[in-house]
Amino acid sequence: MALFKKILVANRSEIAVRVMNACRTLGIPTVAVYSDADVKSKHRFWADESVHIGPSSPRESYLDIDKIIRAARTTGCDAIHPGYGFLSENPIFAQKCRDEKITFICPSPEAIKLLGNKVESRMKMSSAGVPLIPGMKTSSPDLAVYRKVADEAGYPVIIKAAAGGGGKGMRVVHSARELEEAVSAARREALNAFGDDSVYVEKYLVNPRHIEFQILADSHGNAMHLFERECSIQRRHQKIIEETPSTALTPELRKKMGETAVTVAKTAGYTNAGTVEFLLDESGHFYFLEVNTRLQVEHPITEAVTGVDLVVEQIQIAAGLPISESTRTATQRGHAIECRIYAEDGENNFFPSSGTILYYHEPSGPGIRVDSGIWTGSEITIDYDPIMAKVIVHAPTRELAIAKMREALNAYKVLGVRNAKKFMIDILAHPEFAEGRTFTSFIETHFANRAENATRAGDLAVAATAVFGEHQTAIFGGAGSTELPTPWETLGSWQVGWSIG
Amino acid sequence: MAGGMVNRVKQTDYIVDAITHTARTEKHEEVWRVTIGDKTFELIQVSQHLFSIRNGASQSLAAVIRHKDTYFVDVDSVLYEVRQATDIAVSGSHGDHSGEKDKIFAPMPGKVVKILVSVGDEIVEKQPLVIVEAMKMENQINARARGRVKTIHFNAGDQVGTDLPIIELDVVE
Repeated sequence: MALFKKILVANRSEIAVRVMNACRTLGIPTVAVYSDADVKSKHRFWADESVHIGPSSPRESYLDIDKIIRAARTTGCDAIHPGYGFLSENPIFAQKCRDEKITFICPSPEAIKLLGNKVESRMKMSSAGVPLIPGMKTSSPDLAVYRKVADEAGYPVIIKAAAGGGGKGMRVVHSARELEEAVSAARREALNAFGDDSVYVEKYLVNPRHIEFQILADSHGNAMHLFERECSIQRRHQKIIEETPSTALTPELRKKMGETAVTVAKTAGYTNAGTVEFLLDESGHFYFLEVNTRLQVEHPITEAVTGVDLVVEQIQIAAGLPISESTRTATQRGHAIECRIYAEDGENNFFPSSGTILYYHEPSGPGIRVDSGIWTGSEITIDYDPIMAKVIVHAPTRELAIAKMREALNAYKVLGVRNAKKFMIDILAHPEFAEGRTFTSFIETHFANRAENATRAGDLAVAATAVFGEHQTAIFGGAGSTELPTPWETLGSWQVGWSIG
Repeated sequence: MAGGMVNRVKQTDYIVDAITHTARTEKHEEVWRVTIGDKTFELIQVSQHLFSIRNGASQSLAAVIRHKDTYFVDVDSVLYEVRQATDIAVSGSHGDHSGEKDKIFAPMPGKVVKILVSVGDEIVEKQPLVIVEAMKMENQINARARGRVKTIHFNAGDQVGTDLPIIELDVVE
């Protein structure tokens, strides 16, 4: 007897395909939803059934709660998996599913609501003994308050505008001597920028790492973590390379952070899968940031080292089963890295790229996994987040995982839109990355003056083009095909025998 | 490869990164040999669009596809756009404005968020000129040459395509 009759996947692209694969493993039929922009998308055809839910604008399709509930009703689904993004952390949607007696494969609406309120959840976690970045919660007219908080937090500290953002009204202060002038300067700047001179002080973290813990909790009172993911390599404040284990954690620190993550889960009354995010500073102090009440983009690296299928666990937990025995005893085995393949120009400030995928090819081999939402002929439109795929590798050591990733990225081919594979390969090859010294501003720090031109080898590209052109001429007798190949012509995988003997 | 039959020898000019390469192509049994300048590469076709290239002691996997008159190529994760030299004289614009440093285009359709310069401004290479929003993200477009702002065709809030320039410059070479 299957856990659910049928599951609707309220998402698109690679994560929808990923969830459908887990459903298939469990013998549960799936329903895709798709917008106008996704008429030809992979996720639509990966499902057993699909329902059109409206125009390309997310508001009128993937974010439209009523349309998604209706699609679930008309197709006879008794559960909905939200993936990540879109409605995945929307407590109103979670409540609506409950009212409609459809299982929402996520935490309870109450937990989503609590953890969605960053101020309230941090206060609740703080009273449960979870460490927060020390600092003031609100502005004060009294400089003595700033002094006291700064002394307690320890220098350096940062002054931030309460109304703020964009660096305005922000000042890093390295000693008590500079504090008074910095507070006044920040007030003036904040007043000019936001019309409000409220500023507060908190501890400034030098080169922090982004470390998160995967948590699982079931409705039988079991709560556990599945170790960490290090997600410090970011561009545009968005992760692009993640790995596990983190080079920064000793067994003691891992244990302490893991226990804290479980405390967070229990304090929130959490069920299902989630992620507890921390910042870790250079001296090994960690601070709770927030909980993502959903599956993470980078969940596959945890799956690689633990052998757990997180989506299968999510579905089982949502159906009322306890966390699997094999998951409860999971350990960290080897090292895993994920590189996100976005449609973006790695050589031009990660500028998004759109267009048609003219050619698509995935690498394969032991320890290589590709989660993809595209195939040849797919359109990358400007309507959605431009993630196309994720390449995940697993190897016995970090060094081998880095080498395997370089090979996997070189064998991963997507033509027609730009990508940042080369940039990511250069990050993996950087001596500081090899040493494991990663932090959230790694790219700004080490790649500010990147010059790709030095590595361009146009003659190799011409050699391949010349042979391709000759081959086309030989087959078609013309200058080469100008038509797009269909997926059927290009989906077949090559596996062996491409080296010249 | 000694004794292999040479099917055919052909010479073609290709342009990539604004450099013309003359490629001499011949096939010995199943192996292609391409000579460019003083280098010779050995290639074997893996599938319709995939080629294994031997370059001295190193091996690369290349993917190639042709769309209109451009060959899109990935070798070792570096992306190239290659054209046959004879195609270039007869071809028009295909939305590739990479040669026009005096015109600032949006690389994809989007919305102008902010124009960062005014007509008459002296600008330096890499100076941010305009911010365009597409795919939920704000993207800054920088000058690719030194010069002066000549005309600005759009205002903040306007939708832009990729066919009309947002800003035109008088470039100082």
